[in-house]
Amino acid sequence: MLISMRWLGRHVDLSGIDPEQLALDLTLSTAEVEGVERFAPYLSDVVVGHVLEREQHPDADKLSICKLDVGTGETLQIVCGAPNVAAGQRVAVATVGTVLPGDFKIKKSKIRGVHSMGMICSERELGLSDEHDGIWVLPGKPTIGAPVAEALGIDDWVLEIDNKSLTHRPDLWGHRGVAREVAAILDRPLLPLDTSLPELGGADPVEVRVVSPACSRYIGLSIDGVGEGMTPDWMRGMLLATGQRPIDLLVDLSNFVMGDLGQPNHAFDRDQLAGDGILVREAREGETLVTLDEVERKLEPADLLICSGDKAVALAGIMGGQDSKVQQGTGRLLLEVACFEPVPVRRTSARLGLRTDSSARFEKHLDPTLPLKAAGHFARLLQEVQPDVTFPASLADAGDWSDPACEVPLNPDQVRRSLGVGISDEEMSALLSSIGFRVQANGEALTVSVPSNRATKDIAIEMDLIEEVGRLYRYGNIPERHLTGALVPPPVDHRRELAESCRDLLAGGARFHETLSYSFQSDALHKMLGLDGESYVSVINPVQEGSARIRRQVLPSLLGLLEPNRRQRDEVRLFEIGKGYLPEQASERGEPGEVHELALAFCRARQSDTAFDEGCLPRLMAVVQDLLGSLEFHEQQFVAVKQAPVSWLHPVRRVEVRVGAGDGACVGFVAELDPGLAAPLGIDGELVSDTAVASISLDALLEQERSGGSYNPLPRYPGFKIDVAIVAPEEVPARDLSRVIEKAGKGNAKDLVIFDLFRGDQLGAGRRSLAYHLVLQSDKKTLTDKDAQSFLRRLERGLGEIGAELRS
Amino acid sequence: MDKQTNLENAQARIAEASDQAVLADLERELLGKDGLLGQQLKEIPSLPPPERGPAGRAANELKAALTAGLLARAAELAEADLAADREGVGFDATLPAPPVERGSLHPITKVTRRLVQIFSSMGYHILDGPEVELDWYNFEALNIPADHPARDSQDTFYCDEEGRLVLRTHTSPVQVRAMERMAPPFRLVCPGKVFRHENTDATHEHTFHQMEGLVVGKDISVGHLVGTMKTLLRGIFGKEIDVRLRPGHFPFVEPGFELDARCVFCESGCRVCKGTRWIELLPCGLVHPKVLEAAGIDPSEWSGFAFGLGLSRLVMLSHGIDDVRHLLGGDLRFLEQFSC
Repeated sequence: MLISMRWLGRHVDLSGIDPEQLALDLTLSTAEVEGVERFAPYLSDVVVGHVLEREQHPDADKLSICKLDVGTGETLQIVCGAPNVAAGQRVAVATVGTVLPGDFKIKKSKIRGVHSMGMICSERELGLSDEHDGIWVLPGKPTIGAPVAEALGIDDWVLEIDNKSLTHRPDLWGHRGVAREVAAILDRPLLPLDTSLPELGGADPVEVRVVSPACSRYIGLSIDGVGEGMTPDWMRGMLLATGQRPIDLLVDLSNFVMGDLGQPNHAFDRDQLAGDGILVREAREGETLVTLDEVERKLEPADLLICSGDKAVALAGIMGGQDSKVQQGTGRLLLEVACFEPVPVRRTSARLGLRTDSSARFEKHLDPTLPLKAAGHFARLLQEVQPDVTFPASLADAGDWSDPACEVPLNPDQVRRSLGVGISDEEMSALLSSIGFRVQANGEALTVSVPSNRATKDIAIEMDLIEEVGRLYRYGNIPERHLTGALVPPPVDHRRELAESCRDLLAGGARFHETLSYSFQSDALHKMLGLDGESYVSVINPVQEGSARIRRQVLPSLLGLLEPNRRQRDEVRLFEIGKGYLPEQASERGEPGEVHELALAFCRARQSDTAFDEGCLPRLMAVVQDLLGSLEFHEQQFVAVKQAPVSWLHPVRRVEVRVGAGDGACVGFVAELDPGLAAPLGIDGELVSDTAVASISLDALLEQERSGGSYNPLPRYPGFKIDVAIVAPEEVPARDLSRVIEKAGKGNAKDLVIFDLFRGDQLGAGRRSLAYHLVLQSDKKTLTDKDAQSFLRRLERGLGEIGAELRS
Repeated sequence: MDKQTNLENAQARIAEASDQAVLADLERELLGKDGLLGQQLKEIPSLPPPERGPAGRAANELKAALTAGLLARAAELAEADLAADREGVGFDATLPAPPVERGSLHPITKVTRRLVQIFSSMGYHILDGPEVELDWYNFEALNIPADHPARDSQDTFYCDEEGRLVLRTHTSPVQVRAMERMAPPFRLVCPGKVFRHENTDATHEHTFHQMEGLVVGKDISVGHLVGTMKTLLRGIFGKEIDVRLRPGHFPFVEPGFELDARCVFCESGCRVCKGTRWIELLPCGLVHPKVLEAAGIDPSEWSGFAFGLGLSRLVMLSHGIDDVRHLLGGDLRFLEQFSC
């Protein structure tokens, strides 16, 4: 909201007050001031000129040659292209040397052969508005030769207050409310303002019926004898400074009263209203209304209408209707000043996308005593400009409202305890009084009378008053203190600890990169992965069509990252720890089941010649194995599974990760993607890749025992290295061969490593050769060649039993 | 050239030996079994007896002299080698080796860890809670009633038409859940992912990370809040940071504040602080009595403060990240910059 300092000055003396300092004071005590600007600074650089003569340019139809008095004693000749320039006008003149917005310097010039010594300005050229249809004809009779700002009394500073910081303060949506704060801060008096109604005639008021709870008060003031009148310059200036375009007297007055007291109001042409009074009711299905902006609005039953008789004439609290608007020549008015409920106004204005200065205020729980004051204020201001207006009828005042002013007890000790500062009773009473609260001592406690303008939804309990004391005392004056208390270490959060360890291990030794992704997964992705049939938690108002679903599992979120990253990198190693939601596991209260997952993706440009143990899948398996081992899950195995844990994995190249004694429990999987996904994921063609993924359930892992690794005594006897190559049928898994070796070693075969895998014609079809490094070492004696020979004999026998043999 | 000459100019040849290999060859030639000296020794038995003694002595003297010469030359050459090495010919400090490859932790993880460490050291519980949350915990129990603008579907993702289930708009619901099962006094922070209904662009994002904190105890005051926030900022920025509290309105606190921190990036106004030298850092306040009540805590006995820290915002501020979408974008070129 824009606040004019000149306008504020009508309510509190601001002499000697620096705008920047005032902004800071308001920010620290009341509401955030986001900007301080001099209003239309260029208005101080242009002067008031009087157009003495205007004649047609001999060589150009659209140009005029003007002779102006700019107070220098000499007549100035200016060529002007505006259609509305005329003799007798007072205008804004930029003389030679003046610099206008956009660094536009005025120079002597010759236009179609005629000398021009300056420029007559439009509002846009002065940075005042977008108006550029003609020059700005200055209102009234400002002093010729004076700077325009000074002459019009619009030399001003404008403070921009952040609207968000005013949501709970309906009283600050007008200059008087802000002035009340300023007066308290500066310790200067708030100047009196007479808002009492002028004398009213005895005619019957317009009948007003309110049949909706959405309107708590409706005041109708009849005004007669309104003539053509000019808005006073001072008022125009203040409206301009606060971003309102002056239009005509009645509109300007209405806006001024709203900007002054924060109370929206609306003037109807009484002659356009039907005879049977005003009805405030909810709209009917299918009803429409053309609003002042000439848009036909389709209404719904929740919308509140002001009706003349039964005919809608205004959208309550938002915008008037086109048909009943005041026009040139309107002589008889009905001034509406009402109080509408915030929620219906907000809903209607949001639905119609029609936010107005009026609706913004009604959304804030306005003071129901304010309409009467605003009606009086409007009437008195109008009388100042047009002393002949009359108020023929008594006031119509309908609605079921009550004065919200209340009393709130305040315990001074509680103030001191809550703020943490030793402020005295007298000091806090003075602070509260400074903003219009009345404070009475009541034994140990204080009783605070909260005026109606602060009692609507804002001040209701003791803590609310403590806030008032605190902010006016200034929070910055409260000394910092440290918490004290018992030193009880917080309990260990095992899941957090596990997740953090995973992060360190994966980002460290495994060189994976952690990502965090959206919880939304797209329908398209689910369709691609065959996950369409699952049930999901979905939002009903997604930001993007087709992205309403909340993920059940994290891993699919990584798949979409493969293609863009593969464009940049030959190798992509990503992991994410996140949550998934399962609606079918909802609690009684409706909270969906929550799962915690570690997802990994390893994607690499396809290489033509990869060693048997360098493929993506074995590498990722090694990462998971190392991870689990480092996390002290020592009993772990990878088991090839026929039944896919999820449908989009490779039908063969996938393993289940099992942790725990015996068969262990499944905690996740490591797998290649189904080859059919490469194309839809975009990792084919020039980006052709090998991809392995893994998903580990942190929840399942937490159920497994962790054991600190046991210490192995260092060997006391030397061992010796030995290599063996084994030829075995393809279907014999490497693990079986290892077991045979270990058995043949009788506990002395250690550090087995497969270093080669070989297939070839000489081995025969369906057979492969695996070569092992191993160490023979005993903890009881030094082994000899003889021991090696017997190991090899036992090995040969053992291999024979499973159809394998030693390769010499 | 005969043996004699070879032996006579041996010292000269030793002195001229250009490197250790030449010297080793020379040693073999002179002192080896079949070397010149060796042959000379072999000839001694064939000499007439009276000559044998002097010849043997002469040979031994010669051997000692040659050995000493060789050793001296070897030492000289070794010294020369070291000196040459020390010259470091061909060294180019700018010639790179392949970089050490690392993984990385997400910057949100890193800043969360930093904060968790600070708060843990002050006895705070670190709590986690659901991202899909009941309306009660996200709004109602936090004094945000049904007609509050924050509950509009323009601001909140709803999971059902009845409005019972939402994507949490802050992590404060975790605090309500904690208050239900914990007895005061307690201190806790809840880091996590939150959601606001918003179209994304460089400065707007519908999913981001926050960490909200809550302290409940006896006579908790605004002074405690200020003290705690200053401690927090010292922990984050590693130096004393000026703060200021100004009025701010949030339904779940009373009084409510905006806490501004002195801009750490400039001395006289910059893009980050928009020239004000203050950065709006976190909303905070004393816990509203209604919130304590809703969680079953007696507000006449207990009081507390709460604060909310935007982790995404903190990450963007401290790294000068200009586009919020990078945070959840999963682009390795971004992630790799936060290697661990």
